[in-house]
Amino acid sequence: MLRLEGIHAGYGATTILHGISLNVQAGEVVTIVGANGAGKTTTLRTVAGLIKPTAGRITFEGRDITRLPAHEVVDLGITLIPEGRQLFADMTVHENLLMGAYRAEARAKQKDTLDQVLSLFPRVRERLSQSAGSLSGGEQQMVAIARGMMARPRLLMFDEPSLGLAPIIVQQVFDVIDTIVRTGATVLIVEQNVFHTLKAADRGYVLENGEIVLSDSSDALLTNDHVRQAYLGI
Amino acid sequence: MTDTTLDNTVPAARTSPFPLKKAAALGALLLALLAAPIAIGDQFISHIFITIFIFAGLSTAWNIVGGYAGQLSLGHAIFYGIGAYAGVMLMNMGISPWLGMFAGAAVSVVVAVAISYPCFRLRGPFFSLATIAFLEVFRVLALHLREFTGGATGLMIPLKFGWEWMVFRDRTPALLIAFGLLVVALAVAWWIRSHRLGFYLVATRERQSAAQAAGVNTVKVRLIAVSASAALTAFIGTFHAMYLTFIEPAAMFSLTMSIQIAMFALIGGLGTVIGPLVGALFLVPLSELARGWLGAQALGLHGFVYGVVLVLVVLFMPNGLMGILSRYLGNATPQRGTQSASVAATPRAAERPPIGNDILIADHLDKHFAGLHVTNDVSFSLKEGEILGLIGPNGAGKTTVFNMLSGFLKPDSGSVKVRTEDGSWQAPLTPGDFAAIGVGRTFQIVQPFAAMTVEENIMVGAFHRYRDVNDAREAARETAFRMGLGPWLHAEARGLTIGGLKRLEVARVMAMKPRILLLDEVMAGINQTDVRRAIDLMLSIRDSGVSIIAIEHVMQAVMSLSDRVVVLNSGQIIAEGKPQNVVRDPHVIEAYLGKEFTHAQA
Amino acid sequence: MDTFLQVLASGLMLGALFAIVSIGLTLIFGIVKVVNFAHGEFLMIGMYLVYLITAKLGLHPLVTVVAVAPLLFLVGVATQRFIIQPLMSARDDHIQIFATVGLSTALINLALLIFGADIANTPPGGLRMPIQIGPVRVLLGQMIILLASAALVVGLRMFLQRTQTGRAIRAVAQNRAAAQLMGINVNRIYMLTFGIGAACVGFAAAMVAPLYPTSPTIGTYFVLTAFVVVVLGGLGSIGGAFAGAMIIGLIDSFAGFYIGSDLREVAVFGVFLLILILKPSGLFSERLNLSHVSP
Repeated sequence: MLRLEGIHAGYGATTILHGISLNVQAGEVVTIVGANGAGKTTTLRTVAGLIKPTAGRITFEGRDITRLPAHEVVDLGITLIPEGRQLFADMTVHENLLMGAYRAEARAKQKDTLDQVLSLFPRVRERLSQSAGSLSGGEQQMVAIARGMMARPRLLMFDEPSLGLAPIIVQQVFDVIDTIVRTGATVLIVEQNVFHTLKAADRGYVLENGEIVLSDSSDALLTNDHVRQAYLGI
Repeated sequence: MTDTTLDNTVPAARTSPFPLKKAAALGALLLALLAAPIAIGDQFISHIFITIFIFAGLSTAWNIVGGYAGQLSLGHAIFYGIGAYAGVMLMNMGISPWLGMFAGAAVSVVVAVAISYPCFRLRGPFFSLATIAFLEVFRVLALHLREFTGGATGLMIPLKFGWEWMVFRDRTPALLIAFGLLVVALAVAWWIRSHRLGFYLVATRERQSAAQAAGVNTVKVRLIAVSASAALTAFIGTFHAMYLTFIEPAAMFSLTMSIQIAMFALIGGLGTVIGPLVGALFLVPLSELARGWLGAQALGLHGFVYGVVLVLVVLFMPNGLMGILSRYLGNATPQRGTQSASVAATPRAAERPPIGNDILIADHLDKHFAGLHVTNDVSFSLKEGEILGLIGPNGAGKTTVFNMLSGFLKPDSGSVKVRTEDGSWQAPLTPGDFAAIGVGRTFQIVQPFAAMTVEENIMVGAFHRYRDVNDAREAARETAFRMGLGPWLHAEARGLTIGGLKRLEVARVMAMKPRILLLDEVMAGINQTDVRRAIDLMLSIRDSGVSIIAIEHVMQAVMSLSDRVVVLNSGQIIAEGKPQNVVRDPHVIEAYLGKEFTHAQA
Repeated sequence: MDTFLQVLASGLMLGALFAIVSIGLTLIFGIVKVVNFAHGEFLMIGMYLVYLITAKLGLHPLVTVVAVAPLLFLVGVATQRFIIQPLMSARDDHIQIFATVGLSTALINLALLIFGADIANTPPGGLRMPIQIGPVRVLLGQMIILLASAALVVGLRMFLQRTQTGRAIRAVAQNRAAAQLMGINVNRIYMLTFGIGAACVGFAAAMVAPLYPTSPTIGTYFVLTAFVVVVLGGLGSIGGAFAGAMIIGLIDSFAGFYIGSDLREVAVFGVFLLILILKPSGLFSERLNLSHVSP
């Protein structure tokens, strides 16, 4: 469904990704793990169109999307739930969810999607008319995920969903991700918290200094020493 | 791999920034500008040249504030008007305008400081709006205080001729005075730019936080610039009033003129010495000629052209005419590929000095941000001569701690104490205090002072130790070679690769000769070979007696560099000790990889 | 007492005038985050258009809104697309400042070239007719401005709160990157916002022209006060701009009467400078939009 070939990308003078290639098949759950600064977030932002790669190709369902601007990437059905939630703090939860359904395909089915999503997130339903900025970190993450799902995405990408959250909340977040996964969605997760994400995924890539050093099934990666090395240098 | 650098003989200094060729060319240009109208002898031509000199002078004076310091004043006519009214009012009391000039300048300086000081904290457009508001206030006050200023009917100068009164029948003496004022303005602008003040101003404009970390008193330098600019503008205002013989508030406190003098500087080249002159040379004749030939029909034409030219310049050549000229005269921009090759290994002393006693103590640091407890009872110490690694997962609060260790953030409770060279303990508060006591820091997001060369960037740090430009330049060059930046001394800083930029960041701080160095992720984003070289560099810095705290994610670096490591997670210290032990500590592994991961591996 | 009430009423009328001129400015600043120094010239263009249409076609000035507002909309879109958008990634503030200052200068002088320095008076179409409300006397046109400005505030807020496009505009203002991730075309939103802001000014022009003489520099007179209002009310807050405008109108009116009519500007700008220096977030914004103060 999604294929990256030889992608080089970065910010300004800095190149973070040095020729990475990976793919995600429809219905799969794939994760990218790696230490901070390895380039995980850069990878997702490049797929989402927020960063233009300096070399390489990205194809989605056969279409070349390398040079597409971010809003058009969303139109095609790729939704990124960004690092740090990035909710519209001055809008209510309800408005945030409505913004999630901005793309044309989602807007048409807005009402139904809202019902479906809220049934998955009962706590969000309770807080619909609250200002998004007033919620706790965990609640915000739930809203961010719900908002992402309002777009009825074909490919859903998560950027460090556990960032800054207490361990109990992290468990809840991954429970929700599990539920989403079970509906057959195609998911790409980037995480620093390795255990949860490898448990949830089918396959994983290990990213080190902007290069893919390992690619395997997530079960294999769980027992692989190289993963520990990538994070702690030992 | 070529080992070209790092013999201890530093090549001879290149020519000074205002080389003989350039100075000669400028001198010739100025002489021509003076000689031409005198030779031609036509009154109208002389008038045009006088106007050119006046506006070039005003624009050059404005550029000290707007170009060098980056504070876009759109109300500079305040000082022009003060100079004008001071001159005329005093002349009406029998005092020569030569003295009136200085009275006007003195008042202008006071006003300038009073206005600027509270407004410096306003960002770009709002600073400009504030200056416009002040200008309007002055204009209205000039209208209102009729007894002094003549109000809307204006003031005429008494027609006393001669050099004593700056009023002449023939235009030539006025030409000479106007030219003289222009030369004075250029001289002041050149002096500032080529001495420490100029470097400090540009650094403040480009990156205020880095400038502060380099020990620059960013408020003071800008106030000095504003005062110089205001005084020069007032001088010219006094003279121009004598030339025009009649002044009134709308013309003296004119928003249009304020915009024009800023415009000439932009079109010529903001922040260059002769840019404003070039801009005025280009545009003033245009408007004066249009006014002379087309008369009333042209009302608005020259203004329209100015406006259009300004928009076009901003869109297509934001560095102005000087920017285009300098591209043709050639500036060395390093090729990206060649940089990594010539950065050689740094030779090190055979033995490192032993680790001494505590030199910096962080004591129960605590900080809250918007309800979050970002730093929670953090205490640790740095020993003299050691490298202390500060690590932790994303969001642990490492940079926050650094900000407290360098004066950029005040802890809610707790303190930071640094041991001075004579052994006493002090608690510095501001970035300037920390710089003075010998603490230098780098920033995570590396940005050079973009408008300067590599050498000039490092000089900003060197100025902390040396007042004189040449001494600072010498020190900067030495530091550059030590850091492996020798080949790029005269290249534009923004052309460096990320590895080079990180080196430059460290070089700038090292030029301050710090005793304690705080490094924020200097290894991030650079490739493997550069990491190894950077590790060597840091070890050589340590061997020279500097104590280092380094925030790092690149574990390879942490392991090979650190004598001790402190691990931060969610604002708290969870482990401390030798790197090999810390990395095997179950709490640390859990923080990075998650508890369940370790169990899965077991 | 009657005098006091008259001064008060004049102040409110003046406030409404400032409000209707400033609302477009605060919208643009709040969303696009650009200080448009040429905002006054948008008003000037609008007023000249009203003058031309009423002079050539004999229409009532208020009717011209139908043409003037859309035309100004296009002017706003063009300004954003061709002048602001190419400069949005510029690191230096001064680039944007000079660009809109240049535009302002060019427009003022273009008007000078076309219309000359003489004042153009739009036929008042009955709007200068005085209305007596108790002890107080106001002009019909002023009452209309008061009602129109209130309507504009309400209308804009409803647009921003209730429509998907309005929400998209607010989203872009709050978090540009997140808005992109929703599929919002940010550049198009900026153009739309600039257009709407300019159209608001066009709307204002139709009501201001019958009451005030039009000249190339009329914009400068209004724009400075508009900036004061916007900063006072909190950048980007439409309701704040309305309230701020009322306050400035009252200050202007009372200063003019009790201190001296030639010092009213000093009072207004004095307030401006005090606010900028002491409370830059404005009097009304709960959230600190401090994009105009350095950290």
